[in-house]
Amino acid sequence: MTGALIEIITSSDASVRNRSLEQVCGALNIQQLRAAADELERFRRESQNLYHRVRALFLLSNLYRYHLPPQLPADSWGRIPLDGYQHLLQRRFDEALRVFLDQRQREGDTDTIASALAAAYHQLGFQTLADQVRRSVRSVRGNQWMFRVGHPSDHPLRIRPQLRHRTVAHEGFPLIWERTPVRMDLSHSAWSDIFFLGMDFPEGARVLNVSVDLGVRGRDAQPRPPIEVFLRVIDRPVLRLASVDLRAWADVTSLADVFDFAKDYLGLLKAGVIAAGIIPPGLEGAAQGLDEVLEKVVGPGLGLEIVSHVNDIPKGSRLAVSTNLLAAIITACMRATGQIEALEGPLAETDRRQVAARAILGEWLAGSGGGWQDSGGIWPAIKMIEGRHAAEGDPEWGISRGRLLPDHHVYSETEVTAETRRQLSESTVLVHGGMAQNVGPILEMVTEKYLIRGEAEWTGRRQAIRLIDRIDQALRSGDLRDLAQATTENFFGPLQTIIPWASNHYTETLIQHVRRRFADRFRGFLMLGGMSGGGMGFFFEPQVRDEAQDYLQQLMSDTKRQLQDALPFAMEPVVYDFAINERGTMAELVPGSRALMPPDYYALVAPHWLRQDIRHMPAGQQAEVSRFVAECRPGGKLSDAVPSLFANLFPVTNREQHHGDELAGLLTKNGFDAELHEQIRNDLRSGRIGLAQNRLPARTVIEDVDDQDVVRADGEIGGRFRAVGEAALTSGQVAVLTLAAGAGSRWTQGAGVVKALHPFHRFAGKYRNFIELHLAKSRRTGRRFGAPVPHIITTGYLTHDPIQRYLDHHVPQGAAERLHLSRGMSVGLRMIPMARDLRFAWEEMPQQVLDEQAQKVRSSLRAALIGWAENAGGASDYTDNVPLQCLHPTGHWFEVANLLRNGTLATLIRQHPQLAYLMLHNIDTLGADLDPSLLGLHIENGGVLSFEVIGRRIEDHGGGLARVDGKPRLLESLAIPREEDEFRLTYYNSMTTWISIDGLLKVFDLTRDDLTDQQKVLDQIRRLSARMPTYITLKEVKRRWGHGQEDVFPVTQFEKLWGDMTALPELDCRFLVVGRARGQQLKDQAQLDSWLRDGSADYVDSLCDWPGD
Amino acid sequence: MDVQCAVITAAGPQQNRLPLQRFVDPQGEEKTALQIIVEEVTAAGVEQVCVVVRPGDQPAYLEAAGDDARLLTFVEQPQPRGYGEALYRAASFVDNRPFLHLVSDHLYVSDEPRRCAQQLVQAAREENCAVSAVQPTRENMLPYYGTLGGRLMAGRKNLYEIENILEKPTPTQAEQSLLVPGLRAGHYLCLFGMHVLTPPFFGVLKSSLEQAGDTPISLSPALAQLAGCERYLALTINGSRFNTGVKYGLLMAQLALAFHGVDREEILARLVEMLAK
Repeated sequence: MTGALIEIITSSDASVRNRSLEQVCGALNIQQLRAAADELERFRRESQNLYHRVRALFLLSNLYRYHLPPQLPADSWGRIPLDGYQHLLQRRFDEALRVFLDQRQREGDTDTIASALAAAYHQLGFQTLADQVRRSVRSVRGNQWMFRVGHPSDHPLRIRPQLRHRTVAHEGFPLIWERTPVRMDLSHSAWSDIFFLGMDFPEGARVLNVSVDLGVRGRDAQPRPPIEVFLRVIDRPVLRLASVDLRAWADVTSLADVFDFAKDYLGLLKAGVIAAGIIPPGLEGAAQGLDEVLEKVVGPGLGLEIVSHVNDIPKGSRLAVSTNLLAAIITACMRATGQIEALEGPLAETDRRQVAARAILGEWLAGSGGGWQDSGGIWPAIKMIEGRHAAEGDPEWGISRGRLLPDHHVYSETEVTAETRRQLSESTVLVHGGMAQNVGPILEMVTEKYLIRGEAEWTGRRQAIRLIDRIDQALRSGDLRDLAQATTENFFGPLQTIIPWASNHYTETLIQHVRRRFADRFRGFLMLGGMSGGGMGFFFEPQVRDEAQDYLQQLMSDTKRQLQDALPFAMEPVVYDFAINERGTMAELVPGSRALMPPDYYALVAPHWLRQDIRHMPAGQQAEVSRFVAECRPGGKLSDAVPSLFANLFPVTNREQHHGDELAGLLTKNGFDAELHEQIRNDLRSGRIGLAQNRLPARTVIEDVDDQDVVRADGEIGGRFRAVGEAALTSGQVAVLTLAAGAGSRWTQGAGVVKALHPFHRFAGKYRNFIELHLAKSRRTGRRFGAPVPHIITTGYLTHDPIQRYLDHHVPQGAAERLHLSRGMSVGLRMIPMARDLRFAWEEMPQQVLDEQAQKVRSSLRAALIGWAENAGGASDYTDNVPLQCLHPTGHWFEVANLLRNGTLATLIRQHPQLAYLMLHNIDTLGADLDPSLLGLHIENGGVLSFEVIGRRIEDHGGGLARVDGKPRLLESLAIPREEDEFRLTYYNSMTTWISIDGLLKVFDLTRDDLTDQQKVLDQIRRLSARMPTYITLKEVKRRWGHGQEDVFPVTQFEKLWGDMTALPELDCRFLVVGRARGQQLKDQAQLDSWLRDGSADYVDSLCDWPGD
Repeated sequence: MDVQCAVITAAGPQQNRLPLQRFVDPQGEEKTALQIIVEEVTAAGVEQVCVVVRPGDQPAYLEAAGDDARLLTFVEQPQPRGYGEALYRAASFVDNRPFLHLVSDHLYVSDEPRRCAQQLVQAAREENCAVSAVQPTRENMLPYYGTLGGRLMAGRKNLYEIENILEKPTPTQAEQSLLVPGLRAGHYLCLFGMHVLTPPFFGVLKSSLEQAGDTPISLSPALAQLAGCERYLALTINGSRFNTGVKYGLLMAQLALAFHGVDREEILARLVEMLAK
């Protein structure tokens, strides 16, 4: 039996190798599972084959995550060994596994240790794959030498003499002008271009990829290669880098700065210069000067200027703009140094392959990553890109089944006729839907699902492979209707089978409307890239394409307006004009006398010119200024750029003033306490408060609770309690309190949208948001017990209006009467963090170390952010953003207090005098429902507050249930004095709380009658608030700018937390241990897949009664 | 194969004065670079030497050759049309014979009793084919040399079958097409400035010149073509070459000659004295 798992790894028979873990493990009992895990562990340690090891790691991870836990007894909780956890953070995965396995050996299997093992195997699996890709990239012929160059004297590259040749002594040097299309994936081959897949399953790694020129409809006269790179020699020994679109330029003067990717917006240019070998990666850390390297490569006293421009194509287009830009930068640099033979014109196939290999290297250097099709823009027109088996002589031979680099077959005009190409252009509408998404987790999910061969997913992958054949055939035969049908089937079939999160409510709304409007003149949908919502394609009959473009622009804008509170849109949706590019990347050598940069470049550099004395400029620069002035005259090539130049010279401040007024209005409206704000600012600056000061004194004794401190409610609860709970529900004594005032920073990644309204998953055939789900649970309870359940949703400055609007439109009248919004009455203004707090968070607190290069990039970014905080002034008001992103909620303690203050509880009690209990829960605790047994337990135990806790897993951070100086209470991780203390705590706080209303009022020294006395309520809230600790926290906030660009900044805010009520000595708090499915929170979208796979989604669905069911 | 004639190219615009430089040879005698080069070829059995010079340079070369002038025939390259064209000027002199070719801006020091040219000519004689002298060279020197890729001949330690030759390749090109099994990482077989070539080579040069028109042609592409036409080998020489045309090239060449000769101890002592100051 157990050998079967090893057999599916090692078998040469594909039908055995492709069996799923479910097929093999589905029927195993717990002893057999344990034996299988032990055997796999031995196998993966002993196997010499990289992919055997990797598959074993992922099978083990899945075994511990999905197969073993359901077979463990309900109370099988344990603790995470601290040293194992620390090994994990430091990426010492093997050591971590040894510690976790030792503990398993000693204490037996627990849900807790299984979660730790699953995490460690998972991370080791990805690390092993990443290491292999890195090794392959480094060992590609033509890349190796760059890692051997450790001193400027060793540098073997020289700039081509033509680039140093000026026809006239006092003019600029000639300019290489590289123009590159982007790539459109016409097939969406189920993400088969992920390196890991291609290297293990080359026969399944196939992509149909088209090089396209773009224009933004309504803005650009016609499509053109969107990527431009300009390279020239300059008269100063510096590396001058400029990104016209990101409005950034700098003279890089040291080698250290070249390798500092996140210091500014020039990281991609730097990665290009390094990957092209001008500053080879082997020079990282060298003590010599950049000028020494430039002297060797370019010449004494000379430097290089490289300028990039992507014609303001918005980020997230799913057309691989970044990778193709990187490839274009590398191409220009390689042309300049003779590594590519052709200084002008298109590239030869060997050069394209070399550039593609360097682009992979560059992406790794910059800590980003894409698929192997992404640099497809440097190839011409339409091509099939296919994985290849490694052969003798390849660096991958004997290590992986496939090569790192695929082969490209460019279709000839005989294979795909000019007419078909024309029709393809005329029937396709490319759009950017405007959504900003992080596709990183999707790519990890795809890899894992491939390696474990999930049954449905593997079937989906094989379907997708067959669909590529159909798309290929449709192109060859010119049957574009069938092509569109195939891409649509792909999207609604295999792609969503493999990754349900590839689609979303926004995309499907668009498709639905387009289908309704155009009927059979709408041929189909094409998903581009990692997930939908950003770049997408729609196919139409050619005669309605123009109409469809107009319609889609309007439709996307309207739909975005409807959903923008719920989904993260980075920009206004855009429709592109596009054309197939038949040439691939092309370069032209422009003589110095005619060399001009793009107009916006001058808007960027001219202000700096003005600060210099023209007489002291190098000759080449003087010549350029003269040429610029000449071209700015009426009729000149830059005459159109004059207004933007002036706008840069004299920035208009109206917008800032407007934002300031709006911010002031919002602060006033939402109960901003200016006095408290100033006090917090002063305390932050003086060091009285801060992240380090959140902690309890070091002498505090933190211990785990024992059995007497908790009530077990994760198994069978006595029928007596159930009866009591049912009686309370039947008599309408209970209401639900859903906390939805927060910003949901982890879920939205600081995007400032309303998590509660995010339609995150399909239930009963429709995308549903968090609020719908919680209301569906209340509806079910109401029906079961014949008494509709009152439901309160707390809101805040960010969430109130959107939730109100949503409810107005979507909740029927009858239900709306039982629904109450409790509006927040307090708000804070975010502050620039103190550098001290940033250092504490990033340098003193335990951190997950990232993979080597990603870690370097993160360190560089953090150094830049600390510099930003110091320059902007710690504890200053954070106002450099849209006003809503400058405010912050003040913590969920206030959400309960506001219920008293804003009259919601009083209203509720007036309407439902019998109301005695509330069930409070977080917006993301989806499994929390009005369980009659738990309610009965709460009533019978007689506590005022009964907090639900769950057994800890490795991913649960944020404190837990502890004995603090002998008293059981919930403890926030912010307050835990020593990190190791958290690892002694068995239980994690799910935040769900059963509240006896009268007992709660008593803590506030109030009665039901007092609730109408606003002043008294306010006084009592202030009194109790003063006893609650105030935590200083760092949160991430997004700042959007340009065309879909987003920056994430850390900001300081303060909060008071509900769990600290357990520290009040006079308050009777109880702690109920509940099952994982009930207490599981969804904090991060990356959790969704495992939430779906481990049965949590089905569990939640079973609690709901959907409208119309 | 009997190699009786040699061609030395000295018409390069930057290098025509280098053969006139004076050195002290390993025997402690003052000689010009030209004399040292002519000694190198005559030691290999060559009896007639053709020197390709720029117009007007012949008198100075005759003077610099001293007693060896009797062996020399001069051919002028009227226009600087590249290394390949300079060599082609010697076609009539060679007259359908195999020949030894050296550049005039290199001096050679052997690490064994046979001089470098002797090693090369002997190999050509034994293999009865064209042979170019090569030296494993670090990749940072690639911008200065023609470089070849090939495979070691079975049973031989220093003879390679040439597959490809590129003129001053970038390391990227070198790694892709010039890797030689058995060499250390980052090392390539770079030309030594010394070749034994066969008469068909002039045919290759001729067609290259016809295709190039007025564009100067270099030697490496023609050598690469030769590898496609006939058996053509490369020999790693047990010795060193010294390029006198680069910065400190003259100094390094002189030191090398001195360290390999009778004045070794004296020069070492003087250097140590200088270092100690």
